[in-house]
Amino acid sequence: MSEIIRDKTAIAGIGVSKFGRGLEESQLELGLVAFKEALDDAGLTREDVDGLSIHMGWPLGVDYDRIAEVFGLDIRYVNQSWLHGRFVTNALQHAALAVASGMADCVACITAISFTRLRGFLGGPEDQEGTREEGGTHGEAPAYGLTAPASGAAMAMQRYMAQYGATSEQLGEVAVTFRRHAARNSRAVMRTPMSLSDHQASRMVVDPLRLYDCCLITDGAACVLVTSTERARDINIRPVTIAGMQGIRSGREEFIFSPRGLGLNQQTINPQPARERDLEVYRSAGIDRDDVDGLYTYDAFSPLVLFTLERFGFAGPGEAAAWIQGGRIGLGGELPMNTSGGLLSEAHVAGWNSITEMVRQLRGTAGDTQIRGASVLQWGTAWGDSIILRN
Amino acid sequence: MTETTDTPYAKPLPRITADNAPFFDGLKRGELRLPRCDDCGRFHYPPGPVCPYCFSEAVEWTPTTGHGTVSSWVVVHKAWFPAFEAEIPYNVVQVELDEGPRLTANVIDAAPDELSVGMKVVAVVDTVTPEQYLLRFRRAK
Repeated sequence: MSEIIRDKTAIAGIGVSKFGRGLEESQLELGLVAFKEALDDAGLTREDVDGLSIHMGWPLGVDYDRIAEVFGLDIRYVNQSWLHGRFVTNALQHAALAVASGMADCVACITAISFTRLRGFLGGPEDQEGTREEGGTHGEAPAYGLTAPASGAAMAMQRYMAQYGATSEQLGEVAVTFRRHAARNSRAVMRTPMSLSDHQASRMVVDPLRLYDCCLITDGAACVLVTSTERARDINIRPVTIAGMQGIRSGREEFIFSPRGLGLNQQTINPQPARERDLEVYRSAGIDRDDVDGLYTYDAFSPLVLFTLERFGFAGPGEAAAWIQGGRIGLGGELPMNTSGGLLSEAHVAGWNSITEMVRQLRGTAGDTQIRGASVLQWGTAWGDSIILRN
Repeated sequence: MTETTDTPYAKPLPRITADNAPFFDGLKRGELRLPRCDDCGRFHYPPGPVCPYCFSEAVEWTPTTGHGTVSSWVVVHKAWFPAFEAEIPYNVVQVELDEGPRLTANVIDAAPDELSVGMKVVAVVDTVTPEQYLLRFRRAK
């Protein structure tokens, strides 16, 4: 796969709307702001866009057909996924694959969501996807009062704590670090400093997860334009290329919010260090894990940060809670993570806020959150998919 | 339209399908049944038309002992659903049955601070409506 994908496609433009809670603007209005900003950023026009890869459609977001008709686009390639955060990587990968294969010249990934207007979809009575027979995809069991995605992450963290002796205080390092990053980011919704005691004093939501272990519920939009690297070079001074990628993992050994082998759902109890098969993304990009200057992940719940570190072998099984202590994942640390504040403190734009931050980092335009000399950044999730970007 | 005067059961109920109906039929008879493969002898969950281990279609719904061990647990403190608000804080557990599969349900007789990974439990059937039976667990004696 590496020769088909490696550095063949690039992110040529990024755009974001404002992020906030209870925004008056519709998803279409927010999406338009992000789309226009991305076009301006790339020096492209809407006529150049012939593909759409939509992560979250109606009703949280906007469906591809509505975007195309309202924005007056003429589209020849479409991908759209379920209403789950997990498909952020998938949506970006499909954009790259469509460009690499010639199905599209320029794909817009537009994620425009209003979570605050549609709160009932997040674990509430309108959340149809959580009511799937024999359990929702995050481990929901509505008949038993387990209705929200947070509960699946809590179930995994509780077992992880019992197995390895990890503590809520250790987990607090994630929220505290990302809040520190958000404080440097003017787009971030939550910038008030947070101490570990603030984290420990925050109310329990689903034991063992406290309020500050759960991401923000916000509104906002982000747009990423993917085109060929050749074309991006023509229009951009410094394109950010998609260097490598690997797909989402699934099977009886996989639970969305758990490392392999932890013993959630039908997983065996068999914790093991990351296997070669789970590290394809580095081979795909032709790099070593040590080359990664920063790691970005879908931090819907703080345990996912630990599980991502173990999934990609930065830490061994059960070691991530201790590994992250002492500023290791903060700006200036060994492996800065989610430098704009992530879903926990910047905003919940389904991970696209972090993707746009990665592009700013690789252009050297991240301002107060800049990782000095960033040249290789990894997006990777607790469910095992990943993309490596570089400049 | 006819309306009953009884207070309706306001919590979500399981969706019954051809795949899982024998599970609920079993509960109605007071049994915790799970699919078991006649070829490799293993129980599995979730139910489906084939054994996920050996891919045989010789799957039979078979009673289990109902005994198991709590493999993880949570305590819910937030009312995502109005119908659960009065019960907060309440537990939800995953139980690893002695036969292998893990199921999610509540433990009916354990306070939040009594829950632990490794707690031994046994299945009980809860009749939540005249037509609907739910699996729950109680602490094993």
